[in-house]
Amino acid sequence: MILLKRLIDWIDVRVGVREVVEKELTGYLLPRNINTWFSMGSVLLVIFGIQVLSGILLLIYYVPDADKAFKSVTSIMNDVPFGWLIRMCHAVGSNTMVVVLLLHMLSVLFMGSYKRPRELNWLTGFILFTMVQGISLTGYLLPWSQLSFWATTVATNSANAIPVVGPALVEFLRGSKLVGPATLGRFFALHVALIPAGMIALIGAHLFFLKRTGVSTPPFGLQNTTNQWQGDSYHHEDHPGGIPFFPNYAMEDLRSIFIYLACFLAVVFFDPYLFFPKDAFIPANSLVTPAHIKPEWYFLANYQVLKIFPNELIGLTLQGAAMTFLALLPFVDRGKECHPLKRPLFLLCAIGGLLLWIGLTIWGHYS
Amino acid sequence: MEKGGRRKFLGICLGGCVAGIAAAVLYPVYRYLAPRSGSGATARVEIPEKDVPEGEAKFFEYGGSSAVLVRKRDGSLVALSAVCTHLGCIVQWEKDTQGFLCPCHAGHYTPDGVVTSGPPPKPLTKLPFTVANGSIRIG
Repeated sequence: MILLKRLIDWIDVRVGVREVVEKELTGYLLPRNINTWFSMGSVLLVIFGIQVLSGILLLIYYVPDADKAFKSVTSIMNDVPFGWLIRMCHAVGSNTMVVVLLLHMLSVLFMGSYKRPRELNWLTGFILFTMVQGISLTGYLLPWSQLSFWATTVATNSANAIPVVGPALVEFLRGSKLVGPATLGRFFALHVALIPAGMIALIGAHLFFLKRTGVSTPPFGLQNTTNQWQGDSYHHEDHPGGIPFFPNYAMEDLRSIFIYLACFLAVVFFDPYLFFPKDAFIPANSLVTPAHIKPEWYFLANYQVLKIFPNELIGLTLQGAAMTFLALLPFVDRGKECHPLKRPLFLLCAIGGLLLWIGLTIWGHYS
Repeated sequence: MEKGGRRKFLGICLGGCVAGIAAAVLYPVYRYLAPRSGSGATARVEIPEKDVPEGEAKFFEYGGSSAVLVRKRDGSLVALSAVCTHLGCIVQWEKDTQGFLCPCHAGHYTPDGVVTSGPPPKPLTKLPFTVANGSIRIG
């Protein structure tokens, strides 16, 4: 302990580390009525870390070649010690990341934390959400199974509905007329380099905006639940008399992280193939289309919308409009009230939208 | 129990938990990364006799490493590890001089693997082999 104190003293006199701890951890005060939903961001950071680490480990044995990809994944699962664990952590983690991300976004929506001056937080978060969808889609192809191959064929084919440029866009996405080795090469590059780099940059921007604007006050248990920001000058939202981030809220963060890890590991160890249909275990065959090919669960609603409308362009336009509306929500919803029960129109739209999404997902699953 | 004693006890428990979790994470990662025992090893290699004419050498993979089979001018066979005993480079067969040369630091060996010049400290390792029905079985 004396040695550790000496080491900290040595660093402190050089870079003033105790001042940083005081300012950013023990002296960083959060609203007294802060709740568990505020820890979803920390859980997501942990998940992202696990995905990056397990992804790097998978890169050691994975071969991004159409002739060898499926075999290399099979070898990781069957031959490499604990390869199954690393791959299952990566595959299950990609799904649980979407679950936690949705919870994070829903909590921000219902607590009105997206409202001004936090438009940039929402916008960067929303772009991160689309990037998570993108990284999942590109990662789906990499095992080069029947499921990967045909799900990618269907997903990339939907761009065909875009007038004029559609067919050229599909060919550009695939790198060839049909999904093939060229598609695997570009999806691999997107999955392991471009999208992760973009995500790291956006996570940095998201945290920077959070730090500069300050943590929002949850609207629960307060008399006045309106947004106090006047919009005339920059203002950091302080919380005098609040609870310190460390150790108080760090413990809450840790609790949420461990609850997440318990659920995550329960799936990894007890139901690892929860997200794997049987076509995921058959090598890709460009001449045999399996029956009832479906995308991942979080794309099922999009898939069902495309099926409902006889014209794919209408389906795509509707989805694009819904996504744009959600991305620009803080600029549309300019009301000052944050409490969900005092925003009946918002509550109606949010619950209606959520039920619609769940309904379409279930319909897509059983259709 | 005194307050200090309880704090120390809880600290030890916490440290134990952290160490346990770290071990549970690091062990699978270590096993995942560690070279697999016997990886690349082939118990036996069979080479047809006609593949090794007189005065020639045939290189092949053996036991996860490189090996070489030589038929000397007198018709006798020798099986050797092709790994130079100096710094681990792979030796080359020089047909003209009927010997091995390590191109890294100019180590020279006879067809039997004996060092004739250069820095190699030991002869090339000999490998066991048998010849039967026109086939040479190494290992």
